[in-house]
Amino acid sequence: MKTYHDIASDGGSDVIGQVTAQRARLEDRLSLVDHVVAVMSGKGGVGKSTITFVLAEALAERAWCVGIVDADINGPSIAQMTGVRTHVPVLTPGGVMPPENREGIRVMSMDLFLAQEAAPVLWEASTQDEAYTWRPMVEMGALRELIADTEWGPLDVLLVDLPPGADRLPNLASLLPRLSGVVVVTGPTSVSQVAVERSIGMASRVARVPVIGLVENMSAYICPACGAAELLDSNVGDAEALATRHGVPFLGHVPFDRNLALAADTGEPFLERYAGSMAGRAIIDISRKVARFLTR
Amino acid sequence: MSLREARGPFEGTMSIVFACTSCGHSTAMLTNKAETQMVRSLGVAIGGRTKEAAPMEMLRSRLQGRRETPIAESARMGSKCPFTGVVAQAFAGGGQGMQWSEGATARLNRIPAFVRPSVQRSVEDYARRNGLTEINTSVMDAVKGNLGM
Repeated sequence: MKTYHDIASDGGSDVIGQVTAQRARLEDRLSLVDHVVAVMSGKGGVGKSTITFVLAEALAERAWCVGIVDADINGPSIAQMTGVRTHVPVLTPGGVMPPENREGIRVMSMDLFLAQEAAPVLWEASTQDEAYTWRPMVEMGALRELIADTEWGPLDVLLVDLPPGADRLPNLASLLPRLSGVVVVTGPTSVSQVAVERSIGMASRVARVPVIGLVENMSAYICPACGAAELLDSNVGDAEALATRHGVPFLGHVPFDRNLALAADTGEPFLERYAGSMAGRAIIDISRKVARFLTR
Repeated sequence: MSLREARGPFEGTMSIVFACTSCGHSTAMLTNKAETQMVRSLGVAIGGRTKEAAPMEMLRSRLQGRRETPIAESARMGSKCPFTGVVAQAFAGGGQGMQWSEGATARLNRIPAFVRPSVQRSVEDYARRNGLTEINTSVMDAVKGNLGM
């Protein structure tokens, strides 16, 4: 009886060759990108995408050429936050030209392909039963296409906005072996910080991706009338202590700012108008630390 | 062994027939719904590809509820840089005697058009303040890394 290794070919499909070609295409595309940085959190709802959006904005203000790929295939939000949700990507000889927002940030997201904003992301199949067996593979394939088939052009940094979950980073790291680092976002609650501890462990021990640092989002509430910062009742965690405990840099606290929430909802740049606000200053400081890490 | 034919999908199942190249003996590989789906999920073509995969092939062919035209054909196919006009204009604005090295010019061109003129001004201001007459990549590094632009 013949074994697998006795078979000289796979009948002409050359599956290995095709998968290798997919990887080569990805590597070619990223050869013009200086740094790839993931933004992750172990917990949903901590404002990861918002931080990605304003970090991109702050880096663009520093004259960096920035792209964002929305890796949240099932809950994309970056296209709306950057104000490009209604744009149609354009096919060029080099790939698909991503839309740019007002600040020149190039964006690629699943949202750009969906007819209806609130429609669930489903893939054609003879049945959706037992989709758990193949759905993760399709989603990774979709993410690969979003990165590899987009004509990013030369970028200083490509930010990857990951969906929630500690397991997401190792998957991304196997798709993109040359990740420069990861920014971890947490909220002020101890629940989100426990989840984030798992993410930091996953980044450093499993994915072996450098942790650029930890950001605490929604750390306080800014009164729109007087501008005073007030800690939220739920603010019982200590993000700085968490960072110290894990030996990762603490990048800063970003207070809850209704203007930031509005900017993210309407697709308007935040720093253009509110760079001097407490949240704006915090974000600019965080971007400076991220830039320093990447250019060290 | 070579691919002879692929039948299906029939309700998600497929029959893929391979044949020995010397005697013609055929062997069929049958896939059930889940197996068919697994292979499709890899984004590969059974039987091999005759041409390179199209950009965003999976997204454009398998995503349900997608836009009617998810990707537009470019009216300016062949143009590599959509910002050449803006760049030319920015440079025409003049560096007022400031020389830009080839490397620095290339880096400036990589900056999005929206912010490029203001970046150029900032870099030139920095160079003037520091008594420099030429802008090279080191000057740009200094502006980018240390001044918190």
